[in-house]
Amino acid sequence: MESKTKSPPKLTRRNYSKIIRPIFGILVLGYILWRLYEVLIVQQAYSIEIWLRLLIAGLIIGGVYALIAIGYTLVYGILFMINFAHGEVMMIGTFAGYFLFEVTKGINVASAGNPPLSFSDAYPLISVILAFIVGMTVAAAAGFFLEKIAYRPLRKAPRLIPLISAIGASFFLQNAAQLLFSPQVRDYTNPAAIARGSGWTLIINDSRVVITYTGVLTFVLSILLMIGLYLMVQKTKLGKAMRAVASDKNTAALMGIDVDAIVSRTFIISGALAGAAGVMWGLHNGLVHFFVGFLPGIKAFTAAVLGGIGNIPGAMLGGMFLGLVESLGPTALGISYQLKDVIAFVIMIVILIFRPSGILGEVLSEEKV
Amino acid sequence: MKTRRILIVAFLLVLLLSACGPAAEEPAVVEPSGVDTTALCEGDDFGCAVIAPGQTIKIGMGSPMTGGNAAFGIDAEQSGLIAVEDAGEFMGFQFELIAEDDGGTPEGGAAVANKFAADPTIVGVAGHLFSGATFAALPIYEEIGIPMLSPSATNPDLTRQGSRVFNRVPFTDEAQGAAAAEYMYNELGFRKIAFLHDGQDYGKGLAEIAAATFESLGGEVVALMGLTPGEADYSPVLSTIAADSPDALYLGGYTQEGVVLTNNMKTSGLEDVVFFGCDGTFGVDFLSRTGANGEGTYHATPRTPPETPEKDAFDAAYTTRWGQAPGELSPFTWNSYDTTTMLIKMVQEVAVMGSDGSLYIPRGALVDAVRGLANYVGISGTYTCAPVGDCNIEGPTFWIVEGGEFVAVN
Repeated sequence: MESKTKSPPKLTRRNYSKIIRPIFGILVLGYILWRLYEVLIVQQAYSIEIWLRLLIAGLIIGGVYALIAIGYTLVYGILFMINFAHGEVMMIGTFAGYFLFEVTKGINVASAGNPPLSFSDAYPLISVILAFIVGMTVAAAAGFFLEKIAYRPLRKAPRLIPLISAIGASFFLQNAAQLLFSPQVRDYTNPAAIARGSGWTLIINDSRVVITYTGVLTFVLSILLMIGLYLMVQKTKLGKAMRAVASDKNTAALMGIDVDAIVSRTFIISGALAGAAGVMWGLHNGLVHFFVGFLPGIKAFTAAVLGGIGNIPGAMLGGMFLGLVESLGPTALGISYQLKDVIAFVIMIVILIFRPSGILGEVLSEEKV
Repeated sequence: MKTRRILIVAFLLVLLLSACGPAAEEPAVVEPSGVDTTALCEGDDFGCAVIAPGQTIKIGMGSPMTGGNAAFGIDAEQSGLIAVEDAGEFMGFQFELIAEDDGGTPEGGAAVANKFAADPTIVGVAGHLFSGATFAALPIYEEIGIPMLSPSATNPDLTRQGSRVFNRVPFTDEAQGAAAAEYMYNELGFRKIAFLHDGQDYGKGLAEIAAATFESLGGEVVALMGLTPGEADYSPVLSTIAADSPDALYLGGYTQEGVVLTNNMKTSGLEDVVFFGCDGTFGVDFLSRTGANGEGTYHATPRTPPETPEKDAFDAAYTTRWGQAPGELSPFTWNSYDTTTMLIKMVQEVAVMGSDGSLYIPRGALVDAVRGLANYVGISGTYTCAPVGDCNIEGPTFWIVEGGEFVAVN
């Protein structure tokens, strides 16, 4: 924190950076606008169907990022710590959904047609709902125990300590999954009705644009979950208690709120959302392995910071924004696709230069920090 | 209380008995060979590794066993363990595989190499797996004379350093890249190709060589770019490539990226474009994970036809022992078995039984023996090491997927 002594302003290193930062931001912004002009107006190399495909991909991954980002934001809002093991909670949810589909695939159901169908093919809706229930429950349980074991004993410790504990928990969960499930990459067995790659096909400029069923499911469900969460936080008693704990833990306790219970519930909610994101990820992308939560976890953390960490609509916006930038950015700027993460992070830095607490971030009171 | 005490005493007794067990067995007595081991070891460039009775002859292996590439290391270890089992006993000594985690990184490679160098009973290293780790480990082995035989480090520069100890069995990226470009241009008649790679030493080198050759033949390279490896969705990059309407998409990389690309191509406007992979994408794993999407894709392997009785026996052993099919974790399953076995064979060739009952392995002779390997028929191919350490200088065989199977096309 800044010291509060009122010395006369000097040309310190900090003053330099105060000038340099916006200059850097404006330069990068100028470069981005110039590239956009080059690609969109001058070259016009890409036609509408390509932009549409990129947009679809961006919205889908953005929905997944947003759901995971909410978990970071909820926990940060209440405990002021970054739960770096959150990506692993998502991985656990992905595995839970995977095993549910394996089980439902294994059960044969008598059908009117000749070959007996497996349960998941015969009742795709039920098995998908089951997968989400199982994935969310298991991930919620993982979040609950994670808090109980790794964070609660350190509640009163300096803020860096739980952070280290979170990184340790992340490694532990990753390696535990590697030993339990072997490091091989497995494929989600989707119910036949929503097989990966199947979907509604639009023909634009003689070229097929596929809107996949799994993509629509991912996008719609993530929006629904986000609305549900927002209503819960704003309208219910639990939500009110969560907001009270977030704004001031001690006062909330004095008002008769059980802080420990609220913290536990926050972890359960954020775990459930991560579990839902994990099952969506599995259904849409089809891959599950012990490392699957790592990258989405980091990306979602970025999204949470971008939107203003601690702010729930901010996390949603940040997730969608990051997904779209990742998908559209390299093409729109005409930069190699390998640099998509660089583009996303540079844009994040530029935004943070002009809005240091994120797009929707509140300015934290000193007391709270 | 009393019962508990009795239980503890009984437990201790069992422990004691089980500890005594193995010691009761007499080691098999092997007649000394009569060779003067002192002169042999003094005459050797690096001296001898002396394996005392009761010790094992150790083969090292450095590979990533944790982190995102853990599957490669675990697979190599599982394969190597079967190789060691198959080798059985040699003059009363057992072979042992010591697989260490180098993370696939230069730092890890150097750390593992130093650890191996400090163990006098490690005689050879079946690795390292990744080119980056190999670069860092190589000078350490060079100094004390531990022969290396890598199943998968393909970076061309590794065999250009004049190393005496480094050898490898995968064919070089140069041979494969050039052959693939010529095949696509001359045989398949492609004129516009997008070249993708995973941005790593192996894939990038391969794609760049293939693209350069293709361009020199007169073809048009519509894209040469890297992907972020390990991602689950590449449809954005594919959608962008679709704007150039290429004839084919060439990938330098591994099954993981190959599978995702092949599946994504069907929804990204590239449904009629041919996917042309490499030896990194060949394997049953690719077939099972792409299904109908994988039909008509091309892949590469070393020259020898891959189906032999020895390979079938290994496949069966691997599946029973580890509960998963070989090639599922990484494409180097068979190479790892071969490199471990080759090292063991060469040790058996140069080792001498001393008059004191210890086994003497002259390190310099072993290094030269591995480099001198000729016409070795393994389960992944036939190998003859060139003087620089490349044991596979033939071009690749190309395969097309038809009806859910690989069919050789040249």
